[in-house]
Amino acid sequence: MLSAPGGGPASVKSGSSPKVDNMVERAWVSGSGTALGCERGSRAAHWVGGVVALLLAAGCSGEINVTGGAPGGSEPGDGLPGGAGSPGDGDGDLPAGSDVSDPGSDAPGDGPSDPFDPTSGDSDFGPEMPASAPRMVRLTHSQWENTVRDLLLLEAGDELPEFRPDPTVGGFLFDNDSTSLQVDESLWNGYQRAAVDLAALVAGDAARIAKIAPSGSDDAATGAETFIRGFGQRAHRRPLTDDQVNDYLALHAMAPALYPSAGAYEAGIQMLLEAFLQSPHFLYRIEASDEVAGEVIPLDDWEVASKLSYALWGTMPDDSLFTAAEAGELRDAAALRSQVERLVGDPRVEVTVQSFHAQLLEIEEFYGVSPSSTFYPDAPGDLGELAITEHELFIQDLVFEQDGGYREMLTSTRTFVNDDLAAIYGVSGTFDDTFVAVDLDPAERKGIFTQVGFLATNASSADPDPIHRGVFMAERIACLHIAAPDAATPPIPATEGRTNREVIEEHTEMPGSICASCHSTLINPFGFPFESYDAVGAFRTEDNGFPVDTTASPLIDGEPTMVDGALDLIEALADTADVHECYTRHWLEYLHGRPESEDDASITERLGDSSVRGELPVRQLLIEAVMSPTFLTRSTEELP
Amino acid sequence: MKLSRRMVLKGIGGASLALPLLESFAPRSAKAQEIVPPFAVFFRQACGVASQQNTGEIGNEPERFWPNAMGALSAATMQGRAVEELVDYADKLLIVGNVNYGNFDFGDGHARGAMQGLVGRPPAVNGAGGDSEAGGESLDHRIGRELNPGGRDSLYMYAGTPGGWLGGPCISHRGMADRRAAHHNPQGAYDAVAGPGAGETSEAAALLASRQNSINDLLRDQIGSLMGHARLSGNDRQRLQLHLDAVRDLEVQIACMGEMALEQTLDGAEPIYQSSDGDDIWAITRMHMDITALAIACGYTRSAAIQIGSGNDGGNRYRDPDSGQLMENYHYISHRRLSHDSSGAVIAGSDLLHHKVDRQFGQQFKYLLDRLSAYVMPDGQTLLEHGVAAWYNDNGNGPGHSTNNVPWILAGGANGFLKQGEYVDLNGGQNGSNVSLIHNTIGAAAGVRMQDGSLMSDFGDPGLPRGVDNALLA
Repeated sequence: MLSAPGGGPASVKSGSSPKVDNMVERAWVSGSGTALGCERGSRAAHWVGGVVALLLAAGCSGEINVTGGAPGGSEPGDGLPGGAGSPGDGDGDLPAGSDVSDPGSDAPGDGPSDPFDPTSGDSDFGPEMPASAPRMVRLTHSQWENTVRDLLLLEAGDELPEFRPDPTVGGFLFDNDSTSLQVDESLWNGYQRAAVDLAALVAGDAARIAKIAPSGSDDAATGAETFIRGFGQRAHRRPLTDDQVNDYLALHAMAPALYPSAGAYEAGIQMLLEAFLQSPHFLYRIEASDEVAGEVIPLDDWEVASKLSYALWGTMPDDSLFTAAEAGELRDAAALRSQVERLVGDPRVEVTVQSFHAQLLEIEEFYGVSPSSTFYPDAPGDLGELAITEHELFIQDLVFEQDGGYREMLTSTRTFVNDDLAAIYGVSGTFDDTFVAVDLDPAERKGIFTQVGFLATNASSADPDPIHRGVFMAERIACLHIAAPDAATPPIPATEGRTNREVIEEHTEMPGSICASCHSTLINPFGFPFESYDAVGAFRTEDNGFPVDTTASPLIDGEPTMVDGALDLIEALADTADVHECYTRHWLEYLHGRPESEDDASITERLGDSSVRGELPVRQLLIEAVMSPTFLTRSTEELP
Repeated sequence: MKLSRRMVLKGIGGASLALPLLESFAPRSAKAQEIVPPFAVFFRQACGVASQQNTGEIGNEPERFWPNAMGALSAATMQGRAVEELVDYADKLLIVGNVNYGNFDFGDGHARGAMQGLVGRPPAVNGAGGDSEAGGESLDHRIGRELNPGGRDSLYMYAGTPGGWLGGPCISHRGMADRRAAHHNPQGAYDAVAGPGAGETSEAAALLASRQNSINDLLRDQIGSLMGHARLSGNDRQRLQLHLDAVRDLEVQIACMGEMALEQTLDGAEPIYQSSDGDDIWAITRMHMDITALAIACGYTRSAAIQIGSGNDGGNRYRDPDSGQLMENYHYISHRRLSHDSSGAVIAGSDLLHHKVDRQFGQQFKYLLDRLSAYVMPDGQTLLEHGVAAWYNDNGNGPGHSTNNVPWILAGGANGFLKQGEYVDLNGGQNGSNVSLIHNTIGAAAGVRMQDGSLMSDFGDPGLPRGVDNALLA
């Protein structure tokens, strides 16, 4: 469990944005259908994994199919990580147990011993095969911005253009679905303008040129090729072929006539920069490898470097990764693990972790929290923003200071409050607008889903909303599929002397009704346990003058499971491998930039198994996810 | 190289156009008689309109949207109804009733409207609700693909808060489950229309074009080389092909610029283009309309779509014109309740508030018609007379999300193709899904033809009536 208050990070003033704010905002794109739309509660039908209960969509008949796998997770592995999962000491160190000299043995649950060979080792969970995936992965806009800053070594104050947002992909939670990131004429126009402007910025400043030009680039005879090979390797993120070099040389030769007011050297640099910044080798992360080894296609060193860097940092490889790629070290398991641990131990991974949770948990929706001033006269007007700050501080602390995993995320009583949130949580003490770490009452709170953000977002302005709380928990946290509701949903009747639960039950669980098939088995049982929290997330024992009833039998681990209240529900979820696999599955989607696949089953089960046992801190999960053949190799089957 | 081949047409409303040398616009006498090519603009409203209905929340709601009589439109027939906002254009309107969408299984009334409004097909995956994707190409894209220079995409713009239901932009589609991105910031849309050379001197623009075209040669080789990979998937190939198609050589003579006043107006977009405040949303909408008119007049595109709000427009709060105060978000109002579903408290008078929102949409549509009318083309006709603008909705009404009698308000005759000055029923008023009829009619009005030269007739779900509704033709 997490430590007592007092050991947390520096406090943050409410109203001011902690560091994570900007980073996360930059990564957010669209929120993918996150509003509480009428008839909300539907998510795309998708493969839900080998051990997840799947309720067939045909009107949620109540028939439950548990497909494959053993409920409760797979058999325990025969090797435990050497101490991984112990809370860290808050100094940012990686989890213990990352023994780079023996990379295979400390993989949770014993994954493949060779990260490029799915069948290597003696895994209890089966080969970790890669799913089919695009070879050309266009950079997201945030990746483009980060890459441009790193490639051109821009200064902090240099502004970059804002591209038109990419479209949402229905059913995919994140902003990086690699099959849908396209370059159409409008975006191409944006890239073109950006390239012209950035090239002018750099080429017009001798100091900026000096920062990016390899030594010898100003040599009249050989400088152009030196620049092209040196800078080009960073822009293309792999060495240029001789043909590519010659093509760029030809372009360079035209430059003096096309930039008549610039010196020949600067003109050449400017022309080349414009070209490099528009090159598909810059705009896409490319996996060209096609040599089959065994049953997969291993990525080459350069591809590994880029895939790691974009997945974990959202930008191009740094010099250390490039050097390792050039030396051929990234196909060596020990050297690779060393690099991966360095990446995960670097602060740049924080953006990735925050962005993932922001999108998974639909944090952007917190902004829409608007409690009724009639029912909640003391609720702050910026409750949604305060909840976002709390959430970001919670994630930052839990993952990077406490070295926690998903179990802790679900169960921790530690969070961050200012005076407004302290009042809602009923925390005694003196507070102001500064956020500080506190331990909440363990009899009332456990983890992220008993925090204000989730509770107040999934509420009307007056009452808690057990339907939407239930849908979110069932679909997003338990990875259960719920069919879309009937389009002609009748209005929920007035309370009229009843509890909120009684109204919802009567309205949605009429025996034999089409509503009941989903609500009584899947939705309401995940929502009613949260009836002890009102529309702003405050704890309550009464509703409309009656005691709240928080008992329910949600479908956990494939079986209806009796729980009494949210804390009971959360403990049950935290003890369930399916739930940890669900979290892992979402991470794999985000790291790979593609929807879940049947091929993810082995690694999902392996990591879910470690996570449910409390042996997989989030950062260790990242390490294991990218040290797997599912990440480091390609399928021999291409996409259609 | 000089830009002396460009000419400038003065717009009535202060906008001007640095016009490219487009053959049909050219002032040469031999060409001046030619018909300016038709076009289509789509202006989309969500959540239905305040039409006559009986709701559980309010009870009997009176008719507040449609004209009070079929047939010829006049101030009298439009009085008191939301369409009254367009009375100045009564003789150029074709108000189409009885447009009935397909009752497809989207699992959500808003998805069913938004994903079908310009597509007319069932979803890519049934019952996906908020995760729905369209089942085919949208009409704006089809028109652009077939009629625009080089098959350029239609211009697609969005006003309102980002994200939200159905992810925000959700009406324009390249094909099944292939949603298009929209310009939120009008500046980005203008930059796309104006092109990289906009604002440069002729000499600088020429140098820019020479540089870019040389670079383009290299880029085409690089993309072509990537497309030659032996194991490339269809998905990779499709996206690279789209990229390759986008790499267009710059042509100095096609710069398309608004005058200074427009560019200054666009400077004000940055702080407000993601705002939820109705005043800001309408300001952005009008900028999108300025750019739309400019882009069509320039010949940049013959198709544009402007979407207001997300799939349920639940993030935007319009202002009550009587009080100046922000109303509840539009989705709440359309539901008549303080929630995105049927659980919230009833909003008193929300049917009237919905009507006020309808009128504001009407006012914006009028602004679009004003802009299209401000361009007088070489044949002496206004731009509006050469094409058709459509103000359409996702739903027929509010809480019910009806698929029937969905408003389609057309303006402009498309070079005499469409009937004007009337309120008529689609498909002779017969019951049943018929949305493809309005789609094919508008497509045909914009100039889309079948391979044999006949009017467009293949758009939409084959299971629905397709083809042109002759009752809408002049």
